Order: sequence, then C-alpha cells, then structure tokens
Amino acid sequence: MRRGWLHRHHRPGGRRPIGLTVAAALVSAVVLVPLVFLVVQAVQVGWAELRHLLFRHLTAVLVWNTVSLVVVVTVICAVVGTLAAWFVERTDVPGRRWFAVLVVIPLGIPDFVVSFGWRAIFPSIGGFWAAVLVMSLAVYPLVFLPVAASLRSADPAQEEVARSLGLGRVRTFWTVTVGQARVAILGGAILVGLVVLAEFGAFEILGYQTLTTEIYNEFQVGFNEPAACALSLVLVLLGALLLATEDLVRGSGRTSRLGAGAARATKRVTLGRARLGALAGLALLVVLALGVPVGAILYLIVQGGQSTLPPASLWIATGNTFAYAAAAGVVATIAALPIALLSVRFVRPGVLALERVNMLVLAVPGLVVALSLTYLTEHFLQGRFYLTDPLLVIAYAIMFFPLAIVSVRAAIARAPTGLEEVGRSLGVHRHAVMWRVTVPLVAPGLAAAFALVFLETATELTATLVLHPTNVETLATQFWAYQSNLSYSQAAPYALVMVLIAAVPGYVLGRWFDRQPERMAQAGAAPVTAAPALVAA
Amino acid sequence: MKGLSVRGVAKSFGPQEVLCGVDLRVPDGSFTAILGASGSGKTTLLRIVAGFERPDRGEVWLGPELVDNAGSRYLACERRRIGYVPQEGALFPHLSVGRNVGFGLSRDAARRTRVDELLELVGLSGYRRRYPHQLSGGQQQRVALARALAIEPEVVLLDEPFSSLDAALRASVRSDVLGVLRQAGTTSVLVTHDQDEALSMADQVAVLRDGVVAQLDTPAGLYGHPEDAAVAQFLGEANLIEGEISDGIATTMLGRLRVGSWSGPSSGLARVMVRPEQIHLGEVGEGIDGVVASYEYYGHDAVVRIRLERLGVPEPGVPELVVRITGGPPLTPGLRVGLSVRGPVVAWPAVPGGAENSRE
Repeated sequence: MRRGWLHRHHRPGGRRPIGLTVAAALVSAVVLVPLVFLVVQAVQVGWAELRHLLFRHLTAVLVWNTVSLVVVVTVICAVVGTLAAWFVERTDVPGRRWFAVLVVIPLGIPDFVVSFGWRAIFPSIGGFWAAVLVMSLAVYPLVFLPVAASLRSADPAQEEVARSLGLGRVRTFWTVTVGQARVAILGGAILVGLVVLAEFGAFEILGYQTLTTEIYNEFQVGFNEPAACALSLVLVLLGALLLATEDLVRGSGRTSRLGAGAARATKRVTLGRARLGALAGLALLVVLALGVPVGAILYLIVQGGQSTLPPASLWIATGNTFAYAAAAGVVATIAALPIALLSVRFVRPGVLALERVNMLVLAVPGLVVALSLTYLTEHFLQGRFYLTDPLLVIAYAIMFFPLAIVSVRAAIARAPTGLEEVGRSLGVHRHAVMWRVTVPLVAPGLAAAFALVFLETATELTATLVLHPTNVETLATQFWAYQSNLSYSQAAPYALVMVLIAAVPGYVLGRWFDRQPERMAQAGAAPVTAAPALVAA
Repeated sequence: MKGLSVRGVAKSFGPQEVLCGVDLRVPDGSFTAILGASGSGKTTLLRIVAGFERPDRGEVWLGPELVDNAGSRYLACERRRIGYVPQEGALFPHLSVGRNVGFGLSRDAARRTRVDELLELVGLSGYRRRYPHQLSGGQQQRVALARALAIEPEVVLLDEPFSSLDAALRASVRSDVLGVLRQAGTTSVLVTHDQDEALSMADQVAVLRDGVVAQLDTPAGLYGHPEDAAVAQFLGEANLIEGEISDGIATTMLGRLRVGSWSGPSSGLARVMVRPEQIHLGEVGEGIDGVVASYEYYGHDAVVRIRLERLGVPEPGVPELVVRITGGPPLTPGLRVGLSVRGPVVAWPAVPGGAENSRE
C-alpha cells in the first residue's frame, strides 16, 4: 500500500512557512531558557569556584547515591515492567483485563505520595532500599506501557517459529519475545532513569540524600546559589547522558516485520500450574504499588478523625492547582503547535533539529528549571516576575513541553493536508474546510496534549515549591507543608485529591482512547501511554 | 461541460525539475489517461490542474477560462469546480459516508436527496450512515468518486485511484467508475502508472516522460504506433531487434518484415519492434528456427521465450524473444520451433552507437 501522497509536503500556492518557522524558533528559544541560564550562571560563578564546589567529597557521595539509585531502580523497573506486560499480554493469567488497568494506575500517583504512603504505614523505613522500593513501585508502568504495546503489535508467529526451531519456552522468551520488545524496554528504562534523576519529594520524605535533595537544600535553605548551580550542572549532564543513550538505542534497534499481512491474534501461553503464581505476583504488585499508598491515605483520613469536613484551604488549593494546570496545559499545547505543524507538514533537516532541541528539556529536572528561572529573574529582570503566576505557568509549560509536542504532533498527523485539499476542491472555502475537517480531526489529540500537561502539572511538586507566589497555595505545596511538619493526617486529604486528579481522568481517558475505532485511535495515544511515547518520538 | 488544456506547464521542486513544458489538450467530455512511471511528474501535473499547486511557467485553461498563468492569474481550487479523487479516496475519517458525499453541497433540503442519488449511482445505497473505516477499499474509492461528482464538476481528476486496491477488485472498481463517469458525462483525467488501466479506460492517453508529454494518442494508436522504443516498451511487452530498412521492408533476423510505421529516411539501419502476439510459432522449418527457452502458462494465454539458433548454436548477442500464444499444448523447453511474424511492424532509425533507451 502506498501511503505517501496524503502527507505531501508541498505547500499549496507555494507558500513558505515563514511565520510558523519564526514562531517555532521563538518557542524553542523560550524552552531553552533554563538550559541557557544555567550555563550563564555557571559562567558567572566562575571555573575556580565551580571546581571548588564540585571536587569535594559531598559531590562524590551525591553522585554515587543518585547514580546507584538510578541504575538499580531502572533495572528493577525493566524486569518488573516487562514481566508484568508479558503476563498481561501473552498469557492466560486470570483477570488480565483488570490487571492491564490496575497495573498502570500507579503511574498517575505522584512519586512523593507513594513515598508518603509507605512512610505513613512504616515510619521507620528510609535510606537507599526504601528509595529503591518506592521509586520502582511508582514508575515501573513507564516500562510496562510501551512493552505491552509492543507485545500487542509484535508478530506472534515469530515465537512459534522459534519453538519449531527447537528452542525451549524460556529461551524463546529471552531471544524472541524480549528481542521484539527490546526497543520498548530500553526506551521505557531511559524514561525511568530520567524520572528518578529528577525526583525530589519522594527522597526528601524518605530521608535519602541525592543530587536533587541537596540542590533544593542548598538553594531554599542555605541560599547558596553557586553550589546549587554547580550540582545542577552535574544533574543535567547525567540526564543528557541518558538522553544520548536513547539515541544510541534507537539507532541500532529496529524491529521489522516483513509483509503487510495482518498479524494473527496472539495465541496466549498456557501457564498451567504457574497460573496461580503469576496471579499472586501481579496481585502483589498491585497491592504494593496501588494498595499501600491509597490505603495509607484513606487510613490517615479516617484515623485522623477530623470531625470537620475538609478545610476550606483544601478547596482553595484545589482551585489554584486546577487554574495553574489548566493554564500550563493551554500554554504548552498552543506553544507546541508551530513546531508540531512544521515537523509534520514541512519536514526538513532543520525542522527535525528544532524538534530534537526541544526534547533536551527532558534532561533538565523541574528543580533545575525553577532555579534557572529564578536566577534569570533576579539577575536580568531586577526581580520582576519572580514568584508570579506567569513565571510558574511558563516553568510548567517548559517542563512538560516534550509531552505536549508528542501529542500535538500525533494530532496534526491525523489531519493531512491531502484532506484539506480535497475539501477545497469540493468548492468549500479554506476557512470552512479548516473548521469542518482539520479542527474536528485535530481536536481530540490537542485535548490529549492539554490533559497530559494538566495532569503532570497538577501533581508537580518541586518547581511549585520554588516558584509559587507567596500567598498562593496549591495541593502540592499544602501537602508538603503538612507533611514536613509530620502532620500526616492533615496532609492526607491533599494527597487524595492529587491522586484523584491524576489517576481517575488518566484512566478514563485511557479507556476512551482504547475504545475509539482504529482510525480514530491513531489520535495520539491515551494520555497515559503518551509518556512512554516520548521515547518513540 | 468543459474541456481542459495545459500549455507549457513547468514546475520544479528545489533543484529538481519535475515538469518541463507540458502541453495537453483534453477534449470536452473525453476520458484522458496520463500514463507515466512513478516520479514522472504526473501527480504534480494533476495537482496543478486542480489548483493545489502553482506552476512555475505555463498556463492552465478550463474551457474558455484561464485559471492559472503562473503569474497574477490564479483561480483558487475551491472555485474551479474540479472533482478530485485522490489515491485511497482520502475520505474524511470523522464523517459518515453521507456527510462525506454531501461535503461540497450546500445545506438545504435537496442535499439529502442528492446524496442518496449519488450513492445509488456508485452502487452504495444504504451505506449513508456508515463510516469510512467500515468500508472496504473499493467502497471507499466509490464514495470518493460520489463525493467528487456531488458538486457537478466540469472536470474530474483521478489520481491513481485504483493503485491501492488488490488486483481482483481493481478490474471491477475500474469498470464501475468508468461506467459512472460515462453516465455523468464529465471530462475526466486519470493519472496512472498502469498501462492496462490507461489503455482500457481512456479515449486518449498521454505518455508523460522526463517532464514532457512524449506522446498523445488513442490507445490503439499508442500501442500500434509508439513514438519511440521507450514508449513501445512502456506500453506492453516489445521485442526490439536490429534491422535494415529499404523500400518499406525491414530485413531482420526474423526475416523480411513489412514496416507499417517508419519515420526515417527511405533506407538505413533501424530498430524494429515486434509485439509478442505478432509472432506465430509453427513446426521447424516454417520460418526462422528457434528453441523454446521457457514456457509460462496463464490460462487465457501463455508466454513463451524463444532462443534463436543458427545450426544448433545460440546466436550471439541476441536476446530471447517473447512470444504470446493462445491455446495449444504446453511447450517444453528445448523444443525446436519455427517463427514467423504476422502483420506490419514498427521501426525507428537506429540510435547511433546503439545506446539502449529503455526505461525501468
């Protein structure tokens, strides 16, 4: 089948996308501001000072703490995520449809809430292994989702061929099944690594010292900006290394399926006596990742026994969180439009480079974005915009810009120029075609982009703590304030609302996109699945 | 209805010149096929006619009206009343079949009736509420045609509309579409790389090559009197052999052949084309000796490849001849046969140096 023509890149009437290019360049410039000003700040601090700050015992400890955690959590998530995906997608484990949903929901629960839940039930846990446990439970879905998707689309005949060639079940799993999902596993693992690198709240709660917790303390508590800057450089460098690995992985790992024949429905592996074991394993995973944090929050609320209904501040904080999340969603989605339009409709090397540049933000943790913007406003804008709504919204939009780009891009790809041309050839004016064809096709994907940024923003903690206006509290900041005072039962309602905001709509939207007819389902994936899609972007 | 004419149209994309001066006249109410290999610029030409693309030079006329002169004159595509049927239909995926067909119609009471009429015309009454993804490829194609015809276009442009259909479906959809277009009486232009499609559907065929129209003729004229060897090879199989012309007779390794079409001096070296169905196979001794190299059976006919031999030794430097025969028993490789040519052949002056000017 030839699929090319719809996506022809010729402009009707030979228009060149100058306006779009300018807009895309401006947006990219803003997105790169944190990275640029991190470097500017480093230059201002000076090499001598930086060297003094970097080459000390503390740095070595922090890097070791951070890197060892990233490595261990990534490996565990890769194993757990892949196995869970295989059991759910390829075996006859009972209740697999339920597990397909339940196993994903923990992705919507903020990592610091998972950490909080565990700490509330087991007050003595802390340190490296506690951090490993909590982070693994919080982020393994980042591996599960892409692997499940790739197993679903992989050709089951390959496994049958392997068996027919005399490979045993276990070797077939290793060589063929894992081989098919290799790109997905590695892509998911890199995302896990980036998330762990950027995490702050969960480690602070568990009393585990990493680069982020130290940066935060140097900056917020010690007011030592040069030290925060120096450590941020290390953090961003680590992130950039991970991103570079992603390029390597993608370059070498192409799976191919010859022929366009539809793959047969997968024949599930019969587990036999292992069924109960598999069921117990999945159930345990759900209990640990979902049951413990949610149960802990509910327990705290009930046991806290505040006779009064939720305090007014809960509603105010919820309102503020919604307002910020909505603003960030709108800004990020609109800002992503020019770049997505260019990259779908005017493919050129320069455009692809522009898109890649925006993905660099993935290597910059929210904390670093916040610090860099603080530095910018203090030193170049005489403190204007510092701790204001617009700056906070811009910070969110920058942090989650890659998510927006991926979804908006997918949305635009659903409305190829070919359809607009056909519409116009039917005698309908350009603007009317836009409203009747382009907008309806693109809207669901734009809504997905908005929802994704909204959800991420609503549960963002670190940048919010640094940049929120002094008199404006959000769910995350209120939660953090109570939690820091060890007022767990007062923190719990805020955690619960965040879980509801993040997990429930994520689940509903996910199902909704799943149910769309095939053509519609290309919309740009469910919001939850769009996060791993970043790696495939 | 209006005819269509294209004059000296040229178009480049970057450094690549896709069209370099195309002239084409499509008479009112006719069905014209534009035949070209992929990358020959045929789709670009269609897009220029539709108004999706502007030419760098040249003019496009719709009947008496100049719609594009590569300069100040440009009639927007939505005002040309040109029905466009793209590859794979390109139905609006979010609209039902009925809304797809009615897309270009104004919202009034007549729309519903008109949509039903059109769906009946393409044999899809009762499909009004379906969605594109619920239709087969052939059905989608017919909806796309109904949608294009809805606006009662002056001209219908079809851009390889059948290429995505499988072989079995293609023939039936093709004849359905042709029937509908004839009934509607519109001027139609079909772009295709499929010579069978072009020859069987069109009143006239334009062969597009290297950005220009290499030949414009009726299907029979094109097949029987191709302008050059490359056009001949593009339109079906052709045996090209060396020969020497004198007095309307070509002397070749297949004997002395009557030349029906010749545009060179009255005598000289020539390339001679013999179509596979012109060669008759008989017993050894009837005509030229040859040996069966291979035999492919297709049911309705069979293709035999023949190696020419002289005294039992293969002739050096002579390609195998392709012969198409109907009926008769299978021929086993190695069988010796006699060859004779029936009917006049086509010849062109030999290219100095004998450079092969074949395509693909």
